Amino acid sequence: MSNNWEMVIGLEVHAQLKTSSKLFSSSPNLFGSEPNENVNFIDAGMPGMLPVLNWACIEKAIKTGFALNFTINKHSVFERKNYFYPDLPQGYQISQFEFPILSEGYLEIDQPDGNTKKIRIERAHLEQDAGKSIHDIDPKFSFIDLNRVGTPLLEIVSYPDLSSAEDVVNYMSSLRQTLMYIDVCDGNMQEGSLRADVNLSIRKPGGELGTRCEIKNLNSFKFIRQAIEFEFQRQIEVIESGGSVEQNTMLFDTSTGETRPMRSKEFSHDYRYFPDPDLLPVNLTDEQINQIKPSMEELPHQKIARYVSDYKIDKDISKIIIAEKENTILFEKMVNESDVNPKNIASWLVGDIFAFVKEKNLDVLNLLEYTKDITDLLKLISDDVISNKVGKEILPQVLEGKGKPNELVKKMGLEQVSNTDELEKIIDDALMGEEENIAKFQGGSDRVLGYFVGKCLKSTKGKGNPKLINKILLEKLKK
Amino acid sequence: MPKKQSISSLVNSLKEKKISVHELFDQFHKVAKENANNSYNLVLDPDYQKSNLEISQERYSNGKNLPLDGIPLGIKDLFCTKGITTTASSKILSNFIPQYESFVTQQLLNDGAIFIGKNNCDEFAMGSSNETSHFGPVVNPWKNKNSPTEKLVPGGSSGGSAAAVAEGSCVASMGTDTGGSIRQPASLCGLVGLKPTFGSCSRWGIVAFASSLDQAGPITNSVEDAAYILNSISKHDFNDSTSSNHPRDDYLKEIDKKLDHKIKIGIPSDYLKNVTPEIIAQIENTKKSLAGYDIEFVDVAFETTDYALSTYYIIAPAEASSNLARYDGIRYGVREEGGNLDDIYLNSRTSGFGDEVTRRILIGTYVLSAGYYDAYYRQAQKVRRLIKDDFQRVFQEVDFILTPTTPNEAFKIGEKLDPIAMYMNDVFTVPTSLAGLPGISLPSGLSANGLPLGVQLIGNYFQEKKLLQLSHLIEKELSFNE
Amino acid sequence: MSEIDIKRISYLAKLKLPSEKEEFYSQSLVDIIQWVDNLKKIDTSNVKPLHNVTEATVSIRNDDIEKNNSTEDVLNNAPERAQNFFKVPKVVE
Ligand SMILES: [Mg+2]
Ligand SMILES: [Zn+2]
Repeated sequence: MSNNWEMVIGLEVHAQLKTSSKLFSSSPNLFGSEPNENVNFIDAGMPGMLPVLNWACIEKAIKTGFALNFTINKHSVFERKNYFYPDLPQGYQISQFEFPILSEGYLEIDQPDGNTKKIRIERAHLEQDAGKSIHDIDPKFSFIDLNRVGTPLLEIVSYPDLSSAEDVVNYMSSLRQTLMYIDVCDGNMQEGSLRADVNLSIRKPGGELGTRCEIKNLNSFKFIRQAIEFEFQRQIEVIESGGSVEQNTMLFDTSTGETRPMRSKEFSHDYRYFPDPDLLPVNLTDEQINQIKPSMEELPHQKIARYVSDYKIDKDISKIIIAEKENTILFEKMVNESDVNPKNIASWLVGDIFAFVKEKNLDVLNLLEYTKDITDLLKLISDDVISNKVGKEILPQVLEGKGKPNELVKKMGLEQVSNTDELEKIIDDALMGEEENIAKFQGGSDRVLGYFVGKCLKSTKGKGNPKLINKILLEKLKK
Repeated sequence: MPKKQSISSLVNSLKEKKISVHELFDQFHKVAKENANNSYNLVLDPDYQKSNLEISQERYSNGKNLPLDGIPLGIKDLFCTKGITTTASSKILSNFIPQYESFVTQQLLNDGAIFIGKNNCDEFAMGSSNETSHFGPVVNPWKNKNSPTEKLVPGGSSGGSAAAVAEGSCVASMGTDTGGSIRQPASLCGLVGLKPTFGSCSRWGIVAFASSLDQAGPITNSVEDAAYILNSISKHDFNDSTSSNHPRDDYLKEIDKKLDHKIKIGIPSDYLKNVTPEIIAQIENTKKSLAGYDIEFVDVAFETTDYALSTYYIIAPAEASSNLARYDGIRYGVREEGGNLDDIYLNSRTSGFGDEVTRRILIGTYVLSAGYYDAYYRQAQKVRRLIKDDFQRVFQEVDFILTPTTPNEAFKIGEKLDPIAMYMNDVFTVPTSLAGLPGISLPSGLSANGLPLGVQLIGNYFQEKKLLQLSHLIEKELSFNE
Repeated sequence: MSEIDIKRISYLAKLKLPSEKEEFYSQSLVDIIQWVDNLKKIDTSNVKPLHNVTEATVSIRNDDIEKNNSTEDVLNNAPERAQNFFKVPKVVE
């Protein structure tokens, strides 16, 4: 029954900024501390306490502005959003309302047909995060931890340009990637560093837009997908059974995969925004804004373009590498500190190295200390000191720091046998008693050559230089 | 009234060992402890101050005394004082013990001052008579000579501070002024009250009423004492984003300096439209007292005076409604139990706030609410700019502005029940507050009932030094006239 | 001036006016709002709102951590706590 309906989605993404201290106080901006450990008198909303703006948050907002094609507003104003909640100590959240720091940006996302789609972003503003209420320790009480209070957030509000769960996930992951690349957000969704509010309504193609519902605080791609699918179906059912969708704020129940409206309020919210009289407007100069430009990190799409043009790496492989910023750090370090062909490095990286990282559940950055060893290993291969096969065998030990590649190769006696005399002897042994197959080869069967090469390699335990073996074999067989 | 002892004379007595720091403290503490006028919410006893007194005495003994060493000061109970209960005269904060010291009181401590106690005030500084305090009204030490048994208000909101200085229980007291809360009680208690330029004295650690208006300042016996205190407290504070880094002067130095050029003082005719002859007489007295100086008095007229109170009673409650949202019974203060969280909020706040505070929270909530914001709050902010510009226009013509401080003398406790009638008390002080200008109230004479009245002198931004110089002159000449 | 919905305003402010006082506050609010209504007479169409008389701030921090208080300092005024948490009746969403 859901055919003929389409969804219209706008996203509000809250990104916690990667700073040392909070937006308006010098408390540590840290996840996972003891309860109320990172709380000072300002965070706790004590009487007479006043906010002082952290410049790093403005810098991060400006960087985001450059990365997401925003207009960076020279004049922005912090306002108070007034409401009561136990994890909101001041009784208001300091946010930006009428004058946000960023407006009118966009992000391009990939479409299944290979094209890209432009998702327009209405605005992004700085605001304080709230604390946490813990409901599941005691049946009768909630416990309040204010550690998260005042953590800087950038709220990025898209236009309703998204039309499927796939779109949303693409947009969100591209946004996440970008923010991580420019060091604005650590992207850790599990820890709540990046959360999405999904605004969803449905319509018939070309038809009028329905009433939207907002699903709050989704912190994984899986939940985003589930919540959208469920809410889409729910709205369709409501309408097709003759009802109408009520504008509501929904919660997503991660255990059932369902959305349900938040406890209905006696009165609707009225946040009574007004400029925070404890703070003055942020007035930026062109100079301040432009100063940040040179320190801008390369963005994911810029990296792909450079890998393809400068390193001649396939676009698909480039995409795999840039999927995580850590990968590019490792990759570029190897490219820069060695003269091994980047294309070669890239294929080892996305192949055996990633496989190893995945298997051992490692942080890619752990490998940074072995980059020289890795490229040395690749060099041994390209210099024909060892075979590709031996290279693959040694790699895990190199990645575990068990030794330098050349030492490992020596110690294990794995140098490729490229000594012609030695190889000739091995080949002679291999050809011994193979008159029948030799005759086949001379009768025109090429397949036999492979058989002989394999046999020689086996007797060298893989150390024989296959190119040389091939060459000598041919010479001997043609005699 | 008790004999006035100036800070400079006390410092000299301490230096010359005519009196010890302890003896001085005891002398004031004895009066404070009686709390005859309910001017204290809390009096600190000599035991509590023992080590401070000793250290201060030691500095005198070493000849290394600080500017305010050993001087007993009252502190309005709106300044957070570390380890000392700070209530804002509200039930909801009646058990609150800050773990931090306000910037301003820290400066005073750094300069050697000794605190006598926390002065009563209107609840959250909202009031003009000190009758809204949870701890009961403060009584003005002055009596109507025609009706001496009547208990009069000291003015507000820094009523306890003014009464304390007037009764002689402290040398000076720190007040705060949002719409007249230093100047008006100073006037009604026959004292000097200075509200510095907004941004001169940090708001850090002062329980907020209306952030864009609140300003700390002294209530003192003399202009010179005000200069002593201002020297201590007027400093840039990085932790208050609205604190100005405008250079500060030494306000004491050259306070005696003669006028070196002709001064023009504007008297706004619109301030004198509906006032009693007795109030007009204060302005006339002041003019007369300065007759021998090279001072020209000119009539000036403001275009915005009629709108100042309305503007103030939108902006101040709006900011207050938000500033007071943090008092919810969750992290500090008095919690009233309830079945669920919402009940705790509702019960704690309803029972924790008095009538006037409740009223102002309601006004503030209303003027910010959807559908009314533009008509009230935004309009008030626009008019506020017109008021500021109006002052700047007048300051193109004159160096200072002279006005009455209050439209009336001290009135009876319980007399003014109508809130709007009460708000009218601040009609002369509010415009200055909205413009953020410095204003000082000086005793100018006595009413027919023998009660003190004052005049207000307003200067341009950060002109405190000149303002105090001129005030010092007026003070000298007016007392000579008396 | 339109009616003031005192119930809504007081609920937004998290105040529970006792019913016998609702009328008192409501009337007082009406009076004051009428009193300030004179501002509407002023043409401010070309005036920028003034939020604060201090025009520019020098208070912009570097991103440095400072810890000047203990967890206990923050919690020791709490009406109710459980270890190092503030404690409130269960919040239902
Ligand atoms: Mg949102
Ligand atoms: Zn937000």
